[in-house]
Amino acid sequence: MDGPLPLVVLVASLLFAAVVLVYVVLDRTPDWGLLGFAAVVEAATLVLLVVAVVQVGGVDLSGGGVVTLFGYLLAGLVLLPIGFLWSLAERSRGATAVLMVAGLAQAFVVLRVMAVWP
Amino acid sequence: MSRTSSTSSGLGRALVAVYGVFALAATARSLVQLGTKADEAPLAYALSAVAALVYVAATLGLAEVGPLPRRLAWAAVGFELVGVLTVGTLTVLDPELFPDATVWSAYGAGYGWLPLVLPFAGIAWLWHTRAVTHP
Repeated sequence: MDGPLPLVVLVASLLFAAVVLVYVVLDRTPDWGLLGFAAVVEAATLVLLVVAVVQVGGVDLSGGGVVTLFGYLLAGLVLLPIGFLWSLAERSRGATAVLMVAGLAQAFVVLRVMAVWP
Repeated sequence: MSRTSSTSSGLGRALVAVYGVFALAATARSLVQLGTKADEAPLAYALSAVAALVYVAATLGLAEVGPLPRRLAWAAVGFELVGVLTVGTLTVLDPELFPDATVWSAYGAGYGWLPLVLPFAGIAWLWHTRAVTHP
């Protein structure tokens, strides 16, 4: 994937996880700012998926590689929404920490996408 | 009076999230392996599928889905501990045994040792939230 987009999504995901960590430490409940941050990461991941769909024809990827690539990209789309659903059903430090897990998993997914892309 | 705490509340919520990520990752990985190259390393891929089922069961049990979730969680987390210790030991002693890596190979070193830490965290959490008898 050309351009800095994957790296931007990776850094944004890690930053999101770091911000959530601050929320957990301060025992703050998730607010609209946090939700907005997640929405930005989510939108960037969606753009990443679209870019991958557009560019995948022009790169040398085996059949398994294509499945793996889009598996990770689709996982990247569902992680944050599911994380928020699971997190917001309860108000506790542990529930807020769920968003950190989702953010770190998101970063891992993007890292794997960058590794799979030739 | 006997009372159990919820396994999906508080810290348990984050634990369920970690298990959920592993369930998703292991299931997806297993489907790709079985779907694209099942004959290359049947034992390793069958093991991946078993590990995926164990993580799904642990996630559902800890999230208190279905009947007898606590029993499901105990069974899954116990199996997970035996699995990661057995497969970890076997792969360290004989790296040729599994030609392709599984989530439990080398005690989960490829996944930041999380597969080794998780069952202990799960057992500790199930123990922490067990039924306590109040006189």
